[in-house]
Amino acid sequence: MDPLRFSGEIAFSALQAQSLRMKAVAQNIANAESTGNTPGADPYRRKTVMFQSELERLGIGGGQVKTEVQDDLSAFRLEYNPSHKAADAKGYVKMPNVNMVVEMADMRQSLRSYDANLQVIRQGRSMANGLIELLKSNG
Amino acid sequence: VNLEMTIAISGLGAIPNAPMFQPTAQNQSSAGASFAENLFDVMRQAESTAIAGINGQIPMQDAVLKVMEAERTFAAAMAIKDKAVNAYLELSRMQI
Repeated sequence: MDPLRFSGEIAFSALQAQSLRMKAVAQNIANAESTGNTPGADPYRRKTVMFQSELERLGIGGGQVKTEVQDDLSAFRLEYNPSHKAADAKGYVKMPNVNMVVEMADMRQSLRSYDANLQVIRQGRSMANGLIELLKSNG
Repeated sequence: VNLEMTIAISGLGAIPNAPMFQPTAQNQSSAGASFAENLFDVMRQAESTAIAGINGQIPMQDAVLKVMEAERTFAAAMAIKDKAVNAYLELSRMQI
């Protein structure tokens, strides 16, 4: 396969991976206060996206990125709120393990990575166009 | 595009009294036709993918990738077609 086209495909797979990460961040921020419904129930659990290099699918050189959504298994925050529906016997409510600062950092990182991959696509495109221009010129 | 290119490339092979093209006349036209057909396939696929992407059925990135690939294939095909047509014009202008 044409390496330039291939690099484009890899970069596009990264774009999708970063979009998925953005989706996870959106989900986490939206559900930062989502608690359980019954006393002592677990609240929303933070989602993370794991990236892996996919080497098998496209043969030699591979390198597209594969994503997997995972649960963040860290401990939940406890908040004292006896009147809450999900409060346990002592009056504590389990809150999601979402940290806003971490989410913001994740969002920013995903944007940077997205931009970097866009740049890869732009560069590959201009290289391919240069080649075609060569074909167009006379002499 | 299909028609234009097939004519351009098969036309090259059909020039009478042009010995340099004679032996490959058959190959030229069939190669041109399959080339154009292949290009058409790419364009068709890009179009349907683009529509699916706009509708949100598939990730937008996939649609953009396919359209960009089609664009590149098309540009290359056009460049090659122009080359072939130019060669033909060059020959037709030749003083004998």
